[in-house]
Amino acid sequence: MKRSFAVVTDSTSDLPDEWRERYDIEVVPLKVLFGEETFRDGVDMSNQEFFARLATSSKLPTTSAPSPGEFAEVYQRLAKDHDGCISIHIGAQLSATAESARVGAQTVEGFKVNVIDSETVTMPMAFLCKVAAESASLDDATAAVKQRIPGCRVLALLDTLRYIEMGGRVSRAQAMIGTMLDLKPLLLVKDREIKSVDRVRTRSRAIPRMIEFFEADLPVEYVGVMHGQALEEAERIATGLRERLPDLEIPISEIGCVLGTHTGPKALGLVYIKK
Amino acid sequence: MARESNQGVDGPLFKRALLGSLSWLSANHEEVNRLNVFPVPDGDTGTNMLLTLQSAVEDIKESDAAEVSKIAKLASHGSLMGARGNSGVILSQIFRGFARAVEGKSSLTPAELAAALEEASNAAYRAVNKPTEGTILTVAREAGRAAAAAAASPGATVPRVIAAAADGARAAVLKTPSQLQILREAGVVDAGGFGLQVILEGMLKTFEESESANGTLVTSRPLAQVASQMAVALPEGGWGYCTEFLIEGTGLDLDVIKNQIEALGNSVLVVGEPELVKVHVHTDDPTRVITLAGRYGKLLKLNVGDMSTQHKRILDDASQSAGAPRPNGVGLVAVVAGSGLVDIFRGLGVDAIVEGGQTMNPSTQDMLTAIESVSYDEVILMPNNRNVILAAKQVPGLTKKKVHVLETRSVPQGVAAVVAFRADRPGADNLAAMKAEADRVQTIEVTHAVRDTRSNGLKVKKGDVIGLINDKLEFAGSDYGEVVNKALGKLGADSFELVTVYRGKDASDDELAKLESDIRSTHPGLEVEVQHGGQQHYPFILSVE
Repeated sequence: MKRSFAVVTDSTSDLPDEWRERYDIEVVPLKVLFGEETFRDGVDMSNQEFFARLATSSKLPTTSAPSPGEFAEVYQRLAKDHDGCISIHIGAQLSATAESARVGAQTVEGFKVNVIDSETVTMPMAFLCKVAAESASLDDATAAVKQRIPGCRVLALLDTLRYIEMGGRVSRAQAMIGTMLDLKPLLLVKDREIKSVDRVRTRSRAIPRMIEFFEADLPVEYVGVMHGQALEEAERIATGLRERLPDLEIPISEIGCVLGTHTGPKALGLVYIKK
Repeated sequence: MARESNQGVDGPLFKRALLGSLSWLSANHEEVNRLNVFPVPDGDTGTNMLLTLQSAVEDIKESDAAEVSKIAKLASHGSLMGARGNSGVILSQIFRGFARAVEGKSSLTPAELAAALEEASNAAYRAVNKPTEGTILTVAREAGRAAAAAAASPGATVPRVIAAAADGARAAVLKTPSQLQILREAGVVDAGGFGLQVILEGMLKTFEESESANGTLVTSRPLAQVASQMAVALPEGGWGYCTEFLIEGTGLDLDVIKNQIEALGNSVLVVGEPELVKVHVHTDDPTRVITLAGRYGKLLKLNVGDMSTQHKRILDDASQSAGAPRPNGVGLVAVVAGSGLVDIFRGLGVDAIVEGGQTMNPSTQDMLTAIESVSYDEVILMPNNRNVILAAKQVPGLTKKKVHVLETRSVPQGVAAVVAFRADRPGADNLAAMKAEADRVQTIEVTHAVRDTRSNGLKVKKGDVIGLINDKLEFAGSDYGEVVNKALGKLGADSFELVTVYRGKDASDDELAKLESDIRSTHPGLEVEVQHGGQQHYPFILSVE
């Protein structure tokens, strides 16, 4: 049974590969630039390659949104066998991607594209894609996704402040971290804002703190574990959560190149949508 | 004549007695400083008591009150505001107890004087959480008892009561090494107790002079050493500059240097040996002090701190942080010294810094000023040094603000506590979380012994590298890396994750690099982070967590 409408997202959703096939979701890549070299996130460069290069590169990479033209190409292709599309993207406070999608959609005549600013980043977007994919119609999908946006949360534990600071998406003052100490900040993305909910000196103490914060935020409809080159720790966290919440799927996903540019290596995250 | 010797203690006499104490302590405070049991270069009990006493008599100098109660009340208030260090705080409590005991009295009989001295000691005991025998407390109590015994004897006079108190104090001081093992090992008597003895002796000299003027000298005690009351330059307007340095030379005459420096400022401390002299002075003209000292030899470790701008800086800090008010309405004030450490605490969100710590214990007044400058009505105060805690604990009673004293005993404890502070959590919850973090972190402090000593069963030679774990001297050696690795081994490095090295003012790049590599090679499982601390006297302070 084929869906009448398409589901599109961008590479910052860190959609697990398995979900991409299972729910037939189209992923438009953002770009990572190491100096003059440009790579499409997850297409020209795998996550492993990215973190290896991040570790040895003297200059930090930069990132850029897909162009409207790139979105237009995708929508044109999808218009052939769909009568509409929901396009779910990284929060407009963090990236120009949603705006680019909106402009791209206007160039494709006769094809309805509902561009959604998810106000968040990484796997809550994947959960929203799942919600959309399981909906009966484009209107239902749009309503169901919009309804869940306020409940999206990303709880991120960074191993260092260096990358997020250089990336300029969050100021030290915003994150209450104006210090030369190498703190492990616990950041929360919620309601279009990134703020520091706690700061801890050592990783082994920061992880339980992250789980504690999450448990205080229960109940949730979806939850997943994110990691950048820290699979073992992510698996341990997921195992613990599965015991606690046996009815939920709790996928583990890897932080992609674009998000990784801002989090740096060894970041961990709990991503969820509150009920 | 008999009528004269039964003269009571009225306001003017008590005022002169306190000024006599001040001169005598001023003349002897270096002796008190030298009694430091730890070989760490922070012997400042004498200076702290002197500064406290100076503050006690500050307002008295202007007073011509006839009643002893009024003078005692001024002394109580002044000492509380200026109390520095543990001994200073206890001294302020002694004055407080005395003032309460003489409330409403215009003059004291010998018996009333003795009773007031006993009450003074009781008040000091009450003020301390866990009274330790063999300290200033014991000396205060024995002085009070001896005074009471003398007052009960036939023919008791005020000078005899005070003489008995001073003698009782002296006997108690001599016994302190038998009461406290650390004193016994170090071969010294208790510094704070000795300071109190000096204060009582200073009073006695005044009474004896007063008697002598009346032709009824009751003692053969030599008075030659009584310093002129005018010799003590008290702070007059402004705080001036806290100026510190070492003079390296040959055949340096401490007395000559001290006399010259004293003419240029107050809180003068000149200690050392003919080859190396340490000078500490509060002066309005540091250039003159430096020029003068420069004639005697080479100046090392020169440090001039502008104390007058301290207050202003606190206000500046407060206005900086006023931009984004915290949802919980809780402000943070920390006591810390060293440029890097000040920046670290500021960066972590501390609203006002009181500069001080190991070398210069801030007064209760300094901390109070900082707290009043913060724009929050609820404030968490972190002393960050064991010698500042008692003075900090006086602050909550002096302000309308709700002040919590979080008893951090070291810089690493302070950092751990501030890191745990959250602006969205109420004060009491924050306090509990911050305390838990402070308790978790381990502190290693590394410095050089300033003299030969035995402490905590350890034989230490002057100049040795010594390592203290959580304030306790544990290791001595010739090398920073060796001492730090021993300390890490003792703490059980395997159960920790991160070592933060706060580099002191006097640590060189090579010393730092070597220490880092020594730690990494011995404890490869530990993450090592280096921060510029800029603290004096301690080349390295390490936080282990």
